[in-house]
Amino acid sequence: MRTFTREELKKYDGRNGPAYIACDGRVYDVSGSFLWQKGKHQAMHFAGNDLTGALKEAPHGPDLLERYPIVGELID
Amino acid sequence: MAKVAREMVEKAGVNVDQLLELLVNNAAAELTTYYYYTILRANLIGLDGETIKEIAETARIEDRNHFEAIVPRIYELGGKLPESMLDFHNCSACPPASLPKDPTDVKAMLQVLVEAERCAVRGYTHICNLTAGKDHRTYDLSQSILNEEIEHESWFSEFLGEGPSGHFLRRGETSPFVSKFLK
Repeated sequence: MRTFTREELKKYDGRNGPAYIACDGRVYDVSGSFLWQKGKHQAMHFAGNDLTGALKEAPHGPDLLERYPIVGELID
Repeated sequence: MAKVAREMVEKAGVNVDQLLELLVNNAAAELTTYYYYTILRANLIGLDGETIKEIAETARIEDRNHFEAIVPRIYELGGKLPESMLDFHNCSACPPASLPKDPTDVKAMLQVLVEAERCAVRGYTHICNLTAGKDHRTYDLSQSILNEEIEHESWFSEFLGEGPSGHFLRRGETSPFVSKFLK
């Protein structure tokens, strides 16, 4: 499986290409989601980032991410 | 714009521009859901479809009420609706509640309805969390809408066999929680 550093992940911000986000070490492709248009989600979350911490404050759990394909792993 | 009202919210630590974006996105979700539910309701026919037509209609009307209730708050805080209806549709906080490929599949129809309501429940919970103790008016509005969205979710969930909703259908007028914002 492909690995991403945080710097590499930043390239996938969804503004002019694919939108990837990371959570719990996995990288998800959310490009096809209506809720991630142009790499932005609910006015305050941006693709290209590790959202593990943000998800703890979100009104949904990580289960919703299972709808999206995993494209790699995030490494530090 | 209610200048001091906005100032109070800002001073309480709320990012008002971010909040406005969320309010516009949720207003879009309400109006587009009203539109998509119109199509769903029209297709809820036959023995199974007619069974859920009434709650779909109540949810449809209440979602339109939610749109009407949110819009004044957007302008009070200094925001505005997008000029283009297309932009408004596309910034919705929830995906389109589109008619299933097989419109005679009532269970698929219920899945669309319950997913739309669950998205709304998440959205208003989020706004309540952001505004609690800081922006009393937006909190009150969002909490009122949340109460109705939770009821909508439980109605559709009940029909999907996920357990009793715990209450009856509306008796009398719609929007028991939000109506105070519509007067």
